Amino acid sequence: MKSKRNTIISLVGVVLLLALAVWQAWPLDAKITQGLDIRGGLSVILSAQPFEGQALTEETMARVETILVERVNQFGVSEATVQRQGTNSFLVQLPGVENAEQALQLLGEPGRLEFVDYSSITDTATLSLIDDQLYAEQAGETTSLPALDAAKYDAFMTGEVISKATVTADDYGNPAVSVSMDSSGTAIWADVTSRLAGQGVPVLIVLDGHVKSAPTVRNAILNGDTIIEGSFTIDEANRLAAVLESGSLPVDIAIDESRLVSATLGQDSLKQGLLAGVAGLVLVALFMLAYYRGLGALSVVSLAIYSTLYLGTLGVLSAVGVFALTLPGIAGIVLTIGVAADTSILIFERLKEEIEAGKTHRSAAKSAVRSAIGTSIDADIVTLVSAVALYVFAIGPVKGFAFTLMLGIVIDLIAALLFTAPVIRLLAEGPMSRIPWLFGVKGGDRRG
Amino acid sequence: MGKRKIFFAISGALVLLCIAVLLTKGITLGVEFRGGTVMTFSNGGTATVEQMRDALEAAGVPDTANATIQLADDGGFIVRTAESSTISATAAFQAVVTSLGLPAQETNVTTIGPGWSSNVTQAALIALVVSIIAILVYVSLRFEYKMAFTAVLALLHDGIICIGIYALAGREVTPNTVAALLTILGYSLYDTIVIFHRIRENATGLSKMSFMDMTNESINQMMSRWINTGLIQIIPVACLLFFGGETLRDFAFAMLAGLLSAAYSTVALASPLYATWKEREPRFQALKKKYEARAVK
Repeated sequence: MKSKRNTIISLVGVVLLLALAVWQAWPLDAKITQGLDIRGGLSVILSAQPFEGQALTEETMARVETILVERVNQFGVSEATVQRQGTNSFLVQLPGVENAEQALQLLGEPGRLEFVDYSSITDTATLSLIDDQLYAEQAGETTSLPALDAAKYDAFMTGEVISKATVTADDYGNPAVSVSMDSSGTAIWADVTSRLAGQGVPVLIVLDGHVKSAPTVRNAILNGDTIIEGSFTIDEANRLAAVLESGSLPVDIAIDESRLVSATLGQDSLKQGLLAGVAGLVLVALFMLAYYRGLGALSVVSLAIYSTLYLGTLGVLSAVGVFALTLPGIAGIVLTIGVAADTSILIFERLKEEIEAGKTHRSAAKSAVRSAIGTSIDADIVTLVSAVALYVFAIGPVKGFAFTLMLGIVIDLIAALLFTAPVIRLLAEGPMSRIPWLFGVKGGDRRG
Repeated sequence: MGKRKIFFAISGALVLLCIAVLLTKGITLGVEFRGGTVMTFSNGGTATVEQMRDALEAAGVPDTANATIQLADDGGFIVRTAESSTISATAAFQAVVTSLGLPAQETNVTTIGPGWSSNVTQAALIALVVSIIAILVYVSLRFEYKMAFTAVLALLHDGIICIGIYALAGREVTPNTVAALLTILGYSLYDTIVIFHRIRENATGLSKMSFMDMTNESINQMMSRWINTGLIQIIPVACLLFFGGETLRDFAFAMLAGLLSAAYSTVALASPLYATWKEREPRFQALKKKYEARAVK
């Protein structure tokens, strides 16, 4: 009787878990976070490469990360993320970004920022290159112009003095950039602006040898607080602010990998993946019903429970922000259908064997469940080991595949222990002996 | 089991054949391993592969002669080139759409830098080696080392056959293929361990037959499970292959080849090999002599 009580407890537990799962996962498209390859967007892996002879310290990485986050925020994309990967890489995800060229350029910019007094430059070739660069910059073209020769100009200060740069509005409500700087910057800036005020001489803002902007100085600025005005669009202002704030990065940033997926392509892939998943489930269910009849129906219910719990778990993981469904992830899920069904098959086949060997239904059910689940656990752990190795060591999209596979194995065991096993024991108490043909457990009824 | 020598010969021949194919034909590595760009044109209009190649050339994509241009089922193009700059690849995409007069479409471009690709390869190899070592250790502790080694041998057999079929089909190896391969190794073990579990159970107190016959008997006991599970694992993978679209098809192709090989190697390779090895132990040698003598008579 104690075992009966346990059975009831675990079935009640399953019902509660199912309710929880449905609550967490329904509606699916709102509750389960979609990865970039499905919802569309830009995913970039950047690596930080320290200048020659310099070590890449944790502090530097943290600073680069902050700057990347700042830059990413400039795109105005909701749910953009920057994640550390390995020792020197970052995964930047920008869902729904359309202007990939602009984003990539900004992300990959190494950020050696300098301020140069235009009137201090004498070399004519440099002066005309500056004009060309400025023209290209204003026209918003991707420029193939060379960088300025560092020997031909002198910067009076570098980006390190900038403490904050934000987009604001000028007196007419047009976009402008507000800049504040530290004390050493303020002193130099006061000096330079006093000298240049009202002269109509531009101060060049040079990023990595490319002139990004060339504002002229209207008044002397003594406290460092500066407003840069111009006929900026809001995008241009955003970009200039990001450039100014990124300051002088202590490293070079290289684009290692970029994936740009449009939302249409992603949604098509999702539909195909879902179709494959549903078709797989239905065919497996039909096979189980045809071959195992009553027990097959039980395994179909187990599969339904497994799928619901799985989606519920994905919902919970999405809600806490540690999961996003990718295409390789979908493949992982579809593959676990086979693993889940095999757990039932192992139990059923063992049950038939034990009954043929002359055991009563009740004791056969007990020992079949025990030994089949033992086998299942051993085999599952081995599969789990390879999935974990994949998750820990592989990089890129394969991680999503390994994750859904691991999850599938664990949830399968939970469903088998909480549902399939107790129900088989329960069936063995009565229905199985009364209508043996339905369960295929009568001696002469066994196939193949 | 009497036919185990034939099975061993078939397996050996298959493995040698696959190695020969690998050596002569080689495998085509995806851009993820070489560095380069994949562009997916979701709508190819009426353009031909040659027009596409010319348009790429005109858009400034380097080495277009060696680019692979694949016509997808839904009328789009999948183009793989050596272009390594993300920004120029993105620009080239829209240039091609304009110059070929393709219907307006959003940009789908993946670019992998050469440095990163060596990272990917290294990570994949580490994952492979670590999982094999972990499996050897786990199975040795949980069961015994003879099972561990025969299981891993069957696994290598499946892996080589899987890669060989890839080489033969001329499909491109992507990180997805590597993931599928690693899963196959998981499956191969899964299948093998299920049978080993039964062999171990039947081996306790074995006295009525030789180890080899008992192994045979164990496989027969598990036969309907083996067939049903095999079918049920193939069904979802076949669905991925037929309905899954281009990305998922990559997985499915490798998985299908691997599943078939894994199911075969469990019964035809791992189990008889293990039994052969076990029969060298004095206790089972004695049993073998006893029952062989009876059989001859």
